[in-house]
Amino acid sequence: MNEAPEHGLHIVGPVATTPGAPPAATRPSRWVSVLADGSVVAYAGKVEFGQGIRTGFAIEVADELRVPLERVRVVLGDTALVPWDMGTFGSQSTARTGLQLRRAAATAREALLEMAADRLDLPADTLIARGGRIAPAGGGRGVAYEELVAGTEQERDVDDAALLTRADEFSIMGRDHARCDALERVTGRAIFAQDTVIDGMLFAAVLRAPSHGATLSALDVTAAERMPGVAAVVRDGDLVAALADTDEHAEAAAAALQATWDEAPATASTLDLPELLLRSARDAFVTQEAGALDDGFRTADAVLEGQYYVPYVSNAPMEPRAAVARWDGDRLTVWAGTQRPFGIRTELAQRFGLEEDAVRVIAPEIGGGFGSKSPYPAAHEAARLARVAGRPVRVAYSRLDEMQTATVRPAALFNVKSGFTNDGRIVAWQFDAYHAGDRPFLGRRGSETPYDITNARVTTYTCDSPLAAGSYRSLGGAANHFAREVHIDEIAEATGLDPVELRLRNLAHPRFRRVLERAAEAHGWRPAAAPSRRGAGVALGLDVGSYAATVVQASVRGGEARVERVTAALDCGLVVNPEGVRNQVEGSIVMGLGTALSEIVEFHGGRVLSNGFARYRVPRAADAPVVETVLVGDADTPSTGAGEPAIVPIAAAIANAVSDATGERQRELPINRHLR
Amino acid sequence: MVALRINGTTYEAPDPGRNLLSFIRFDAGLTGTKYACGEGECGACTVLVDGGSLRACQATVGAVADGEITTIEGIARGGELHAVQQAFIDASATQCGYCTPGFIMSAVALLGRQPRPTDEQILDALALNICRCGAYQRIVRAVHEAAARMSEPAG
Ligand code: FES
Ligand code: FES
Repeated sequence: MNEAPEHGLHIVGPVATTPGAPPAATRPSRWVSVLADGSVVAYAGKVEFGQGIRTGFAIEVADELRVPLERVRVVLGDTALVPWDMGTFGSQSTARTGLQLRRAAATAREALLEMAADRLDLPADTLIARGGRIAPAGGGRGVAYEELVAGTEQERDVDDAALLTRADEFSIMGRDHARCDALERVTGRAIFAQDTVIDGMLFAAVLRAPSHGATLSALDVTAAERMPGVAAVVRDGDLVAALADTDEHAEAAAAALQATWDEAPATASTLDLPELLLRSARDAFVTQEAGALDDGFRTADAVLEGQYYVPYVSNAPMEPRAAVARWDGDRLTVWAGTQRPFGIRTELAQRFGLEEDAVRVIAPEIGGGFGSKSPYPAAHEAARLARVAGRPVRVAYSRLDEMQTATVRPAALFNVKSGFTNDGRIVAWQFDAYHAGDRPFLGRRGSETPYDITNARVTTYTCDSPLAAGSYRSLGGAANHFAREVHIDEIAEATGLDPVELRLRNLAHPRFRRVLERAAEAHGWRPAAAPSRRGAGVALGLDVGSYAATVVQASVRGGEARVERVTAALDCGLVVNPEGVRNQVEGSIVMGLGTALSEIVEFHGGRVLSNGFARYRVPRAADAPVVETVLVGDADTPSTGAGEPAIVPIAAAIANAVSDATGERQRELPINRHLR
Repeated sequence: MVALRINGTTYEAPDPGRNLLSFIRFDAGLTGTKYACGEGECGACTVLVDGGSLRACQATVGAVADGEITTIEGIARGGELHAVQQAFIDASATQCGYCTPGFIMSAVALLGRQPRPTDEQILDALALNICRCGAYQRIVRAVHEAAARMSEPAG
């Protein structure tokens, strides 16, 4: 149970009741508390890493409880205080956790109505909740929540049948709200993992392998130990670190470590990768199968084949990972900016042979992640070093550490073959996707075609990966969409049809059609056969249950493509905070623009060469286009993800726009490399 | 030993060779100024020295000992946010917020020398700041908005 001292009404419930759920998930935990000072606290295991989820949750709880938004405080990501959670990824926060919080808040509202009915001696169904009070529907002052809960300590179970507020009765949800945690961010008061400093803490500088997979063969610590400010040089198995009184002393000592590394001979570098993917392909997995491909190709008027490629790209969040660990006897507390505080807690408990309750992981504010902060070795390193040192230890990655050790989005190669009729009906679709790395779920995401094609087979493969491949915004979804949506444009070109029209001819799904039509209309799309030489491009996509369509205006000058204007339509069902969703869409567009135009992680063997912002070109202010977001979801359709879907079509839309401008088809990213 | 003025307070710095960003964050305890690259490439560590912007990760304490340093913690006056801070809130120009202090300080420096900047001047002044969350369009809007508010006659 949580250690929350405040008195009041608490709504408790497990995260899951299903058999097979981890024990921590089935234990009841607090979701919403109404406290004696009239404030409301919401608890969730999610973390805030820029997506605005704290604000989203506050909005949902405030609306269900009929209190002003400012009254709600949201506690996130602290394993001692919040319900168990798998991790913040896959855009599940609003869809699942938000819904659970709404249920808990609605349960609280119904409980308060009952309590007020007792207090006022009136039937509950004649009372209404409004402005933090329960009052007679016909008028009268009624009673404030704080009066109802004062002096009580009550727990109620989350009632799954509690009546949720209907969309037409929302007064806070569905409107624009500034972030409830913006003040801390603009004043510098927000504390991130990199900023966490505790009493008695030593600064660590960890010896880093020069390449992925290198092993330490010899080490001389004599010089390092004699450096100023050094408390210890610790060697714990494969972990070597200098601990000192300041960050600079630790770094200087680590630099004085005489280490010899065994590195595997480099078998591949950046340019060998496409070939390596094809050669090493395995684990063919069919994600979509319909009809019979041979029949489809036989009935087609024309057949088109294309090969597409995306290199490794780096999540490169602004905040490099960092952790501080403190041991109090056999209890461990770790501050770590991870997307998986509960997962890291389990890992640490296992590593040190502790009960999970003896480990507390606290995720402070997180400076971006986009998937790469699920693995969090800094937490382990800090805990191991603190145990040996007998003092709290801070491990903070440098930009170099971050980019050398973080996972990258898998590079991927695609072979696409389509058959279609002269009037632009696609009758055969063969899509083979070769994603680097051994984690099949990365490459499978978003590989299926949403077009209505009678004969289709989509196959994904896992392949060798010289660098560690991992999660990225939409996993491999954006890569799959790139190949598919560029190929679709090629069909438009081959049939002399307008790219929007070609897509509509092959799309039956009403939400898909609507999102595409709305994007085209808002952008002022003028139909023309491709290439029109105007620099117009379109693409659509589906991710985490949300529909997206993007229209781009681009130009090419002096061997560089520029994206001038983007119109992005998104259908993610009910929108809790439109301003928050627009912000996520704009961010997705800028991030996807980087992958389209300039981002590529270059490597030689296991060495990452693009290991800083001078060597890895992310979009800057002058690269950012004007983005217009069009939200087209219905308020009665359940919320689906908003943080990822807008990234899936953008690279293809940009490539299509550049192809439209130049007349030369762009099949490989990043485009600015290939234009030169 | 040098003395350092930060946000109007004097700090003693025993080692003039100490990295300015480390000093601000860990010795003065002002962690609003961020570390993100340590290579002068991202602007997360931007502070003002006598009103001009400086990337603290690229300087030593000794190099700025004569100057008046201002960090993100020092721009609000008497409990009231600086116009740029308020404009960032109003424009929702912050997502994860890790880049935010650096952008705000770059913008404050710009508005100090150019009260009504053009789009181009803003992009120029922010060219060395990175926002990986991609809030650029809102950041530029916020700077314009702050400029407009700051040049309104006081009253
Ligand atoms: S941390 Fe100083 S410029 Fe990036
Ligand atoms: S808000 Fe996250 S880096 Fe700018």
